[in-house]
Amino acid sequence: MSGESSQLGVRQRTGGGATRKRSKSPAVSTSHNTDNETHAKIAKQKGTGTGPYKQPSEKGYRVALALVTIVAFITRFWKINHPDQVVFDEVHFGKFASYYLQGTYFFDVHPPFGKLLFAFMGWLVGYDGHFLFDNIGDSYIDNKVPYVAFRAMPALLSTLTVPVVYLTMWESGYSLPACLTAAGLILFDNGQIGQTRLILLDSTLIFSMACSILCYIRFYKQRHNAFGRKWWKWLLLTGVSLSCVISTKYVGVFTFVTIGAAVAIDLWNMLDYRRGLSLQQFGMHFAARAFGLIVIPFFFYLFWFQVHFTVLYRSGPGDDFMTPEFQETLADNAMAEKSVEVFYNDKVTLRHKDTKAYLHSHLDRYPLRYDDGRISSQGQQVTGYPFNDTNNHWIIVPSQPFPDSVQRPVNNNDAVKLLHVVTNTYLLSHDVASPYHPTNQEFTTVSKEDADGPRYNETLFEVRIEGKRKQGLRTMSSLFKFVHHPSKVAMWTHTKPLPDWGYKQQEINGNKNLQQKSNIWFIESIIDIDPEDKRLSKEPKKIKTLPFFKKYFELQRAMFHHNNALTSSHPYASQPIQWPFLMRGVSFWTKNDTREQIYFLGNVAGWWIASSILAVFAGIVGADQLTQRRGIDALDSRTRSRLYNSTGFFWLAWAAHYFPFFLMGRQLFLHHYLPAHLASALVTGALVEFVFGVEAEEEEVVMAGQERKKERKWVPRACSESTLGSWIACATIIGIVVASFVFYAPLTYGSPGLSVEGVLRRKWLGYDLHFAK
Amino acid sequence: MASVKATGAELGGGVKRRNIPVLEVSGAEGEKQTILVPEVDYKKQEKPKQQSGIDIEAWTAPIVFTFLAFFTRMYKIGQSDIVTWDEAHFGKFGSYYLKREFYFDVHPPLGKMLVGLSGYLAGYNGSFEFKSGEHYPEEVNYTFMRIFNAAFGALCVPLAYYTSKQLKFSKATTWLVTLMVLCENSYATISRFILLDSMLLFFTFTTMLCYSKFHNLQNKSFSAEWWTWIVLTGLSIGCVTSVKWVGLFVTALVGLYTVEDLWNKFGDYKMPKATYAMHWVARIFGLILIPAAVYLASFYAHFTILNRSGPGDAQMSSLFQANLKGTDLTDSPLEVAIGSKVTIKNMGYGGGLLHSHVQTYPEGSGQQQVTCYHHKDSNNDWFFHPIRKERQYDPQEEVRFIGDKSVIRLLHAQTGRNLHTHSVAAPITKKHNEVSTYGNATVGDDKDNWVIEVMDDAISRDYSKLRTLTTAFRLRNQVLGCYLRAGNVNLPQWGFKQIEVTCTKENKPRDTFTHWNIESHINRLLPKADRKAFRSPFFRDFIHLNVAMMTSNNALVPDPDKQDDLASQWWQWPILHVGLRMCSWDDNVIKYFLLGNPIVYWGSTASLIIFTLMLGWYAIRWQRGYPDLTQRDIDHILYSGLYPFIGWFAHYLPFVAMARVTYVHHYYPALYFAILTAGFCVDWATRKLPRPVYYGVFGAVYALVIGVFVLFIPISFGMPGSNQQYAYLKWFDGWRISN
Repeated sequence: MSGESSQLGVRQRTGGGATRKRSKSPAVSTSHNTDNETHAKIAKQKGTGTGPYKQPSEKGYRVALALVTIVAFITRFWKINHPDQVVFDEVHFGKFASYYLQGTYFFDVHPPFGKLLFAFMGWLVGYDGHFLFDNIGDSYIDNKVPYVAFRAMPALLSTLTVPVVYLTMWESGYSLPACLTAAGLILFDNGQIGQTRLILLDSTLIFSMACSILCYIRFYKQRHNAFGRKWWKWLLLTGVSLSCVISTKYVGVFTFVTIGAAVAIDLWNMLDYRRGLSLQQFGMHFAARAFGLIVIPFFFYLFWFQVHFTVLYRSGPGDDFMTPEFQETLADNAMAEKSVEVFYNDKVTLRHKDTKAYLHSHLDRYPLRYDDGRISSQGQQVTGYPFNDTNNHWIIVPSQPFPDSVQRPVNNNDAVKLLHVVTNTYLLSHDVASPYHPTNQEFTTVSKEDADGPRYNETLFEVRIEGKRKQGLRTMSSLFKFVHHPSKVAMWTHTKPLPDWGYKQQEINGNKNLQQKSNIWFIESIIDIDPEDKRLSKEPKKIKTLPFFKKYFELQRAMFHHNNALTSSHPYASQPIQWPFLMRGVSFWTKNDTREQIYFLGNVAGWWIASSILAVFAGIVGADQLTQRRGIDALDSRTRSRLYNSTGFFWLAWAAHYFPFFLMGRQLFLHHYLPAHLASALVTGALVEFVFGVEAEEEEVVMAGQERKKERKWVPRACSESTLGSWIACATIIGIVVASFVFYAPLTYGSPGLSVEGVLRRKWLGYDLHFAK
Repeated sequence: MASVKATGAELGGGVKRRNIPVLEVSGAEGEKQTILVPEVDYKKQEKPKQQSGIDIEAWTAPIVFTFLAFFTRMYKIGQSDIVTWDEAHFGKFGSYYLKREFYFDVHPPLGKMLVGLSGYLAGYNGSFEFKSGEHYPEEVNYTFMRIFNAAFGALCVPLAYYTSKQLKFSKATTWLVTLMVLCENSYATISRFILLDSMLLFFTFTTMLCYSKFHNLQNKSFSAEWWTWIVLTGLSIGCVTSVKWVGLFVTALVGLYTVEDLWNKFGDYKMPKATYAMHWVARIFGLILIPAAVYLASFYAHFTILNRSGPGDAQMSSLFQANLKGTDLTDSPLEVAIGSKVTIKNMGYGGGLLHSHVQTYPEGSGQQQVTCYHHKDSNNDWFFHPIRKERQYDPQEEVRFIGDKSVIRLLHAQTGRNLHTHSVAAPITKKHNEVSTYGNATVGDDKDNWVIEVMDDAISRDYSKLRTLTTAFRLRNQVLGCYLRAGNVNLPQWGFKQIEVTCTKENKPRDTFTHWNIESHINRLLPKADRKAFRSPFFRDFIHLNVAMMTSNNALVPDPDKQDDLASQWWQWPILHVGLRMCSWDDNVIKYFLLGNPIVYWGSTASLIIFTLMLGWYAIRWQRGYPDLTQRDIDHILYSGLYPFIGWFAHYLPFVAMARVTYVHHYYPALYFAILTAGFCVDWATRKLPRPVYYGVFGAVYALVIGVFVLFIPISFGMPGSNQQYAYLKWFDGWRISN
């Protein structure tokens, strides 16, 4: 994508014939080309003027703006109280809002901004967060959730997205029909509406992304007024908008790529010595942008994390994702409250951190032969078992006995022995393959005689405590690896159950890969601890604090880690290649008695139009490159500048928000295409003007070009006359789009229910709709 | 020199056009002057330097280097008489060519055929199994086979020499590049064994040489010399991709160059259109058709040589297998008729034979199971019978052939039941209908009727008859309209883990899991088919095998349960973070350690960074209007610096993205491009140095490269005795030369 546009940069240099002045507007054009003398005057007026481009028909623009905003409000808020049940991912984001309101710590892969907005909304209407949005279809009415307020927030942002799109086109100097086409595609899009009137993050994301583009264009238009007040204002606003995008979802990186590419091209052109900027000046420009578009957004982004940590002060479902140090900063944390120092000869239960299985043993033995023909030691089984049982009890025995009267704590790296209480045998590992993993060692137990005698060494295990604070071993708060002393394998378990001979319990074995994260265990409790024990009678622990950055980096790492792990399949997941063609939607919600359903789907006509226009744009640029290479100039410089710098920028935005998904391994849904769809609407509007706004004289130029006449002349395009073609195109597109919108509206708004025939009529591309029978 | 000068001018047609107008637009006449002046100076400087002493050096240096190359690659080559590292694979594959047994592997055949050839020349009969770590028996002349391989590795050195000449590096730099290849321990080590890497490197080197030579001839377009080198480039590309698919990366580099070249020529108004078209034709012929022909030819030879049944049979279609000696598939009659006893094979990837047995479904209909099974068994036999409305089969009747649109019943030979489906959900794939066997010759309903839909026939366009092995057909249930399908879904233990057979309502003609063919066929009334009738078309086998190779290649993903000490990660390679133990580290084994020359690795990696900075520096200077570079300089940077640099990325980045298991030797082709980039950087940095400093710098670098190579030479020549003797080479923990 950036390759495309950097080529544009070169192109500007190479393409110039002697007669043509070099265009200097790199990434975003405005309605005029400053180098073009005929427009220089307007440009001047523009550079200092306020507000959008002053054209004779500005009133028309304003009226249209008001109109689209009102219609957007209606389409977004129509029946917003329906359905009064939890729909699709409201399960997640509604729940997160509740957690914020309750202050309980949770973990999610998305950054906090979007979710905080919902919580803010809930706080405004005085909701206490008692409902946890457990299942799709749970009633909001019964549970007394102010869901309309929740939904109003995204719907409002979505409403505002439409005028932002409109303004983007207007600011870029497109004609009224072009602006209306672009805005109309968003306004009447079933996808943009369907996804944004529910409690989901996408509305925030799309709105911020649209704002970023608009702000950057406004900023760019201030370029003749560099370092002026307005210049700074729009630069900073661009930065803040960008920050909101990335603080909502990490796909916001793509918006950074878009704006970043435009800025890079702009800076590169500024570096050109013919621009007359000294290196100091250039350095200032560079620094200002780096500050406004990187530093500010980053601090803003961190700010939301600070809010996140501040609001979530209590222990909650997210604790498990964090380290013990982190958990000790949360109030009511079991770890902080119940943590007790572990001494030798304590009776304890060991629990595996990932699978939550207890270390368990019972009298049954491993079968001599496994199904694959390998042979076991036939020793006593050692397994992982998730439920409480006396067979989970072990006593930590010192490697060298000492008098019982002494109470000694278990320290990091101590070699210990584990005595299984019920069978009175000692835990042991040896060089025999485990039931499932030929490369891993078997765990079993042996009698006291063996454990003290010939097999003494094999019963020794080292306690290796994780993390920085390595003082004595504690229950709950100390996570450790349990490493077999002679062979250096770590005790490990996994979820695949053993066959019937092992009662479907988990296999325990020795893992040679010590680094693996799943080797971690902790001591859950000390059994039969004397209630008089001094260890229990300590004063209640204070909640600890950690420096912000420590917490932030830990959370950030965990988020990336879990984001990459989201690879499981989902029945309605789709492939990126299907999105522009709208091959498949997502079933959000169904109600059997009324035959109502919400099926998330874009506007079929609108998406196909936008996608084909994207291809047309690529074709036009390709053809222009080829003809130019042969010295044929079919376009005047202003049109070309507009085509590459403005429409090209929108196209770049589309590409940057679309193609990276092909590289992603995680599960993807149609709604991931929505930001790209917004960009494609901008391209469509722009091309409507390019294609249909062409006047008769220009046709002649094309003809002249084909005949390869040496002398070429450009007829500048008139600004406002003869836009009839564009108007017709605009009306046609909007007409088709509205028809398609209305046709699919029952699936978007979830009402009214459709008859079998009605459902079947809407299965255009084989959409898997419900109630088709 | 003449050619050099002319090249600059010629290229100017494309690139100068990019530059000059800019200067004109700027309207600064003075600047134009200043730009031209250094160009003149440069020519004056260069001329005498290049012409003097060219004769002696051009003859002697390559000979000396080649001699040294053969020495470093072959000295003590037979010392270790055990099967080392992947010799276990490639030696074995070579043996299959000698035994002419069909095998399957993920790499294209050329390299392994050359291994086979070396065995043939060494008088080896292919009987040795090449078990890893075993001693070679007396009769295997493994030394000769290794020498054959090492020759490819040794010849890389003169190729590097000539390539740097073509890239217009100074004499001293040419020597440096050649030395870096010569004194590269990893190249020297890996070339000594029966592996494909020496061949891959050799053909990568030839491709680079041929295309640089071709580039330098571009002012002599369509001359005999020009044609020679374009054809040689094509042959090299063909060979490199036929050794390993990694060769596609260097192909991509040549492709990129060609696109740029054609784009430049497209902008040359003076070139007649016919000439331009001819340029296209020449490149399509030389760089697409010739490589494709070489690649196809290697597979053709592969299929021709391997004409016996072997371990790779199962990967191929039943039609292909029928052509191998030692299979029993060919005794069948060709055309299938009512009453024929057949086995029916699924044509999807890894498909089995349609099977039924007396066990019933534990759920669903509870009728007799139908599965797909990979082993030969009498439960795979089926009879074709007419449907109940038609005249019943009588062994005495005249032959009724079956073809497209025929409606038939399939009777299971062992149990006499009919193949049947009904609207009951299949046991695993619930969306599909369950398939069972039901009733007998008289009991049953219309759901026993299946319509044959012929999809394809390898030997005929006539679909009116169903032919053994060659016809692909689908079976559609006459009543339910669903298609018989066997995806690769295994049943639970009650179905003996065999493959589930279902009936799918989706009509997808391209779903090969719904395609079936007759594998064996018995019908006493019909004549045995002519063996030639089962000829498998070459292209079909070729595509089938390539798809199978790709599928297995993608399946080589790291297994988290498997401990693989040998594998390494992409980021470890350029910094030489790890080496690889090629054999057991026992004291009484001659040990080889695969590790590069640290100076070459670190130097070449550093040069990549330096080159990036240099590009940035000149780009910014250019944008600021400093006339640093002449057009000739720009061309030199582009073709001698940027293309090798891109070549490095092309050979490196795919391994970053790849999910499969990777090893250190995957970096070796990329390393060559890094070495060339290093050559460029040194050349560029030293060209204006005063003579004494110049010689001093090069002398020092030569000494360093050679010195470190000699220091590390035991890892290449083999280390006998205790590994502790070599502990002095273990500079880092990753270099596990000693324990």
